Amino acid sequence: MIRWNADQTALRQGIGRWCEALSAGDIERDAEGVFPQDQWKLIQESGILGLPFDERWGGLGQSLLTTMYVLEELGRGCRDGGLNFSVATHMVSSGVPLQRFGSQELKQRYLPGICSGETIGAHAITETESGSDALAMRTTATREHDDFVLRGSKSFVSNGPVAGLFVVYARTHPDGGPFGITAFAVERDTPGLVIGEPVAKMGLRTSPLSELHFDDCRIPASAVIGRVGSGFLVLDHVMKWEILCSFIINTGQMRYRLDRCVEYAKERIQFGKPIGSYQSVSNKIVDMRIGLDTARKWLYDTAARLMDGENVTTDIAVSKLLASESNLASALAAVQIFGGSGYLTEYGLEKDLRDAVAGPIYSGTSEIQRNRIASMLGL
Amino acid sequence: MKHTDAVKQFIIDEFLPDVSVTELDSEYDLVHGGVIDSLGLLKTMAWLEDRFDLRADELDLDPNSFRSVDAISRFIEDAHRRRPESD
Repeated sequence: MIRWNADQTALRQGIGRWCEALSAGDIERDAEGVFPQDQWKLIQESGILGLPFDERWGGLGQSLLTTMYVLEELGRGCRDGGLNFSVATHMVSSGVPLQRFGSQELKQRYLPGICSGETIGAHAITETESGSDALAMRTTATREHDDFVLRGSKSFVSNGPVAGLFVVYARTHPDGGPFGITAFAVERDTPGLVIGEPVAKMGLRTSPLSELHFDDCRIPASAVIGRVGSGFLVLDHVMKWEILCSFIINTGQMRYRLDRCVEYAKERIQFGKPIGSYQSVSNKIVDMRIGLDTARKWLYDTAARLMDGENVTTDIAVSKLLASESNLASALAAVQIFGGSGYLTEYGLEKDLRDAVAGPIYSGTSEIQRNRIASMLGL
Repeated sequence: MKHTDAVKQFIIDEFLPDVSVTELDSEYDLVHGGVIDSLGLLKTMAWLEDRFDLRADELDLDPNSFRSVDAISRFIEDAHRRRPESD
């Protein structure tokens, strides 16, 4: 069990103070499906975006575990699930690979803006024909003298419509297998980069999503993050952070939902008794608690082991599976426990459920996580 | 290279069960030959970390380090040279 120190607790309480303002109007914003610019400014002011980045770039120099601890509180306190998702996406998509693999020049150019939130980050991996099979991507980056030229399209780019910086994964070698992919830092106003309109979706509606098109988009060779051909390894590192940071936010949301369901089950009287006294209801709540505790333990334990330099390939997959599926089960149970009220938009629970459906899909589907675990078992 | 045999045995056990040790050339391109795909690479990295006590966050992510049995062996030696206390 992790014992959080006073500094970590203070950082967590610090973000807690912003959550009421961050949540205000969340249901209306969800209906509109627009990125909350005003709330993003509050996120910038809160300092949360710089948590895991070096102080010399304007970050707070905190560990992965501390970052997660604060993000978990954001998930518990901020009801705008799309905004929370955009925060995690911003942090892990661009800042994390730049800090770990970026050249000094790239760090200097981009990390201050990432830490402050002035530059919103996004990454472009998925394509229409390559989702789970990400390495089958067709977008190419062709070396031409001192430049690379990007050609192709990307889909499902979270933060795409509002991002100032994209980390783009493209094929630099036609038959290089896992070493045929390279990561690039691409600025929004780069000629040849066309950003699609926001795409409507089921949940996480305040986190905008779009396609990207690269029409002879020329970028300098200095935009390579890491080495040419190391894109898959960069992506693997990013995915570990994405899973740990995104899904710890989900555990905060699960905690919020659990507390709300317990309270409701004590107050709501049917057939002369609180509905929580019926096992059919209390058992659902107990399962919500078990799902929450299990997901938290796996996520924090995996993060601690990653920080210790251990290989967590299997653990990351288990954590992602457990957290995303537990979050979905918890969201569905909350709607059911609240009955007809849970189905109403004004209660905010149906929105949580729509948001949670995305979890077992993004960052590697549950099916892919099971494949990965099977592979690590030698199957 | 002192780790060539161990690396070769790992590659055969995991990815080429029908190939004998003598049949696998140490310079054979494992990536171009389709032996190591993305999951295979993750598995290889996991094995390197566990077997040779390498820290995942200290690994130099040069694609060429994983291309052949000899390349992987050189990679292990280089990693240990940079961290002599782990030998």
